Amino acid sequence: MNSHVSEAVFRRGRLLLWGACLAVAIALPLVFKSGFMLSLLCQMGVMVVFALSYNMLLGQTGLLSFGHAVYFGMGAFISMHALNIIGKDGGPLLVALLPLVGGLAGLLAGVVLGYVTTKKAGTTFAMISLGIGELVAACALMFPGFFGGEGGVSGNRVIGKGNLLGFTWGPQVEMYGLIVAWAFLATVAMFALTQTPLGRMANAVRDNPERAEFVGYDTQRVRYLMLILSGFFAGVAGGLTALNYEIVTAETLNAHTSGVVLLMTFVGGIGFFYGPIIGAILVTVMQIVIGGMTQAWLLYFGLFFLFMVLMAPGGIASVISMQRNLWQAGLFGRMVPHYLAVALPMLVLTAGLVGLIEMSYALLAGEGVGAGDTATQVMGMQMQLNSPAPWAIALATTAVGMALTRWIGGRTRAAWNATLSTLHGDRT
Amino acid sequence: MTAPAIRITGLKKNFGASEIIRGVDLDIHRGERHAIIGPNGAGKSTLFHLISARLPVTSGVIELKGENVIGLKPFEINRKGLSRSFQITNIFHNLSVFENLRCAVLWSLGYRYSFWHRLAGLADARLRAEAVMEDIGLADRRDTPAGILSYAEQRALEIGITIASGADVILLDEPTAGMSRSETDDAVALIRRVTEGKTLVMVEHDMGVVFGLADRISVLVYGQIIATDAPAAIRCNAAVQEAYLGTSTHSGNQHD
Repeated sequence: MNSHVSEAVFRRGRLLLWGACLAVAIALPLVFKSGFMLSLLCQMGVMVVFALSYNMLLGQTGLLSFGHAVYFGMGAFISMHALNIIGKDGGPLLVALLPLVGGLAGLLAGVVLGYVTTKKAGTTFAMISLGIGELVAACALMFPGFFGGEGGVSGNRVIGKGNLLGFTWGPQVEMYGLIVAWAFLATVAMFALTQTPLGRMANAVRDNPERAEFVGYDTQRVRYLMLILSGFFAGVAGGLTALNYEIVTAETLNAHTSGVVLLMTFVGGIGFFYGPIIGAILVTVMQIVIGGMTQAWLLYFGLFFLFMVLMAPGGIASVISMQRNLWQAGLFGRMVPHYLAVALPMLVLTAGLVGLIEMSYALLAGEGVGAGDTATQVMGMQMQLNSPAPWAIALATTAVGMALTRWIGGRTRAAWNATLSTLHGDRT
Repeated sequence: MTAPAIRITGLKKNFGASEIIRGVDLDIHRGERHAIIGPNGAGKSTLFHLISARLPVTSGVIELKGENVIGLKPFEINRKGLSRSFQITNIFHNLSVFENLRCAVLWSLGYRYSFWHRLAGLADARLRAEAVMEDIGLADRRDTPAGILSYAEQRALEIGITIASGADVILLDEPTAGMSRSETDDAVALIRRVTEGKTLVMVEHDMGVVFGLADRISVLVYGQIIATDAPAAIRCNAAVQEAYLGTSTHSGNQHD
């Protein structure tokens, strides 16, 4: 059987890929030693799990949720309370197992809330998930005893005297190790789930719920189970974030967090298992790195999201997948010069836009930068905002960038379409 | 004497004020191939939707192998051994041909909502899906996403999904609609092959298909069955000729 041989080869390749990813994740702190990089890596690990759990709903079951942070947040709060309860009597082993407690909290939240939300799919599900999300977020402010009010709930992840194989989880790098371990386990488990009857029937329910009913499956039950399991993994991510920051605030379970995980997952690509991983890493980098450079980072993020939705609605993973198809057909080389050619004017356009945005922001925005500032730094250059010169330069750069991008972009698009038709022509 | 595969008594269906099914009584014997014909708008598809619980009935009783199935959900009826196809192709578009068929066999093999079995390890599901794939002639399209199959291939897959679970009562809603002559011949041969030993009920406009395949024919006109008989007798039935064949034989043959 031919398909079996190729399946075995496929599996070995997949094992190698998983191993390589784990090795890279473990090796990263050896390269990036700074505290900043380490906390960035930790945040990435948490978000990878969270985004993957979200895609169990969006990509795999076709459920667009606006309230997934509820499960993440419940996992975080319960883990934090559990941490404080075990207190001095506990030890590093119990702390290491806390994400499991978070997972169970997320699972339980899924059992209760999912029973309501998964009655229907489509828009109804989206709306109810939004409502439930708001409801829980409102509760967070109404019950400060549990949610800690404005200040949130904090704790200390270093408890007890002993250690677990030398780990106390005190240093950030040890915390990173714990996150990698959990993230890897959770990712393997979530991938394995896609290869089970339930995982496949979730895809079937996504594609055609009516047909799924007529092959014997209760679509409501499939959605419910997927939501519960997704809640579990979101809760694991929540437990990790509680340990990582040692504080959990109401922000963890509000609509903003739900929105961020949706964007991450979408940008990464909902049609591929690994899409959300890419999305989580990329958006976290943008959030923290660009967020550290400029206050206008949300604006850039919005622009980037728009760009992705318009140019690559399948997300980054779909772009990668297309390039791989071209590579396998021996057509990738044909496109490389075009990619390089279009990258340059896009850089010019981006530089111009960044200049305009930063200067406007400095001029108009409120505190922090100082409203009505007359000077600001853009890309290392000192700009005098009350003189017309920097504005003229930025405008000209933007205009030139836009014109060139349109011109060269049009040719790139033509080349792309030609290559695609060659690719499909080869196939059929 | 075993109960009939399907027994329908006093079945009615209203959409608002309009009566679409106006009191249908019908027995489908076990193992027969039964065709339901009638002019457009007679309620043939609605009758199928009622039997398969896609639509709720207004009144009346439907028994499947002697058991009242009124009020059951589609998946519950499917689990009792009734499977149906659709007039408008109803498949899992993003899944491959093989995955479509595997999804169709999972419940009947008892895997339910399992998330502790590895699909790749389920030899019985794979073998059954592959057998159906052979049957419907799509073995060389195994890994093709169903959404990009040709129309005739999608229709074949539609039938494949319907029979894959091993249900013994099969409802086919216009299985040859929109097919060319040669595609229709292939489809008829396929239907004959895969429904061997099963009860088949089908709605069909193509009289060639109906008279070639059916053991018995029921004629549905304005929500009522005016005759149920063997093909030869239906051909000679005066009421049928007046109500249906006499007025629209041609339009029936050249149906859209």
